[in-house]
Amino acid sequence: MKLRLPPSERLLRIACVLALAALPLMVWSLFDPTVWPVLIALSVGQGLGTLSFVLFLVAVGRDLHVQRKLATRIRPLD
Amino acid sequence: MEWASVTSAAIAAAILVVHLLRRRSVTGTSKVWLLMGLGVFPILTAGTANIAGFEATQSRKFCGSCHVMIPHAEDSGDPKSLSLAATHARNEYFGEKNCYTCHKDYGMYGYVLTKLGGMRHVYLYVTEYRTMPLEESKHAIRILKPLPNANCMHCHTTNAPDWLRVPDHASSLASVRDGKLSCASAGCHGFAHPMTKLGKELASDGRISR
Repeated sequence: MKLRLPPSERLLRIACVLALAALPLMVWSLFDPTVWPVLIALSVGQGLGTLSFVLFLVAVGRDLHVQRKLATRIRPLD
Repeated sequence: MEWASVTSAAIAAAILVVHLLRRRSVTGTSKVWLLMGLGVFPILTAGTANIAGFEATQSRKFCGSCHVMIPHAEDSGDPKSLSLAATHARNEYFGEKNCYTCHKDYGMYGYVLTKLGGMRHVYLYVTEYRTMPLEESKHAIRILKPLPNANCMHCHTTNAPDWLRVPDHASSLASVRDGKLSCASAGCHGFAHPMTKLGKELASDGRISR
């Protein structure tokens, strides 16, 4: 079964939402430096933040790949 | 450090909210903005929050945030307490980081080992002690290994002439240095956290059972 990723625009929106969830989790521990905020910041916060950045890189990488493909297809017509 | 973390998080959040609200197609310029909002600023936030977080894990407030450690933290922060932990906490070298300063591993990989030990504490707390009443936990929870004298000797080197002039120090020098006789025991300087000990422990002779 092949995994189909959503279109790049949707992927970027998902990345934005994930990052918006991650940022307060990462900052929460600064205001309440106790066990759970610090642990959640270092695990869930970082995990969501990393995932959002990976989605961004996937979207950019895919767009570049498509651009390169289009460029090679268009070239013979010149 | 905190303001850098909060500021970078706020900038990142502003960029992301603007992107979500504008609903325009993704262009090269918006990708550069998103690189800032999803990459540069969140990484800055994570980095600075990590440093602040690891700093926070060394504080007494952090150690005392699990309910089973409240008696230890409250006693060591009590300016009237005469326990070994409290008298050390009043020294500015220990201060708010007195738990960490005494209990940390002073070896080469001490920081990592101490943090791994802390994760073990969290695991045990979640799986076994989370619902344990305080009165029970005071006597049920014990340190995994006796506090090594090497931790005390990090400051009290056992070489200072004033220290050696104390007759009890001189007579038990070998036992103290090789860790057979605990500095923090009833026969010597008393337990660091005496309020967690039962009568029989308080009356023991201070030898570490092996």
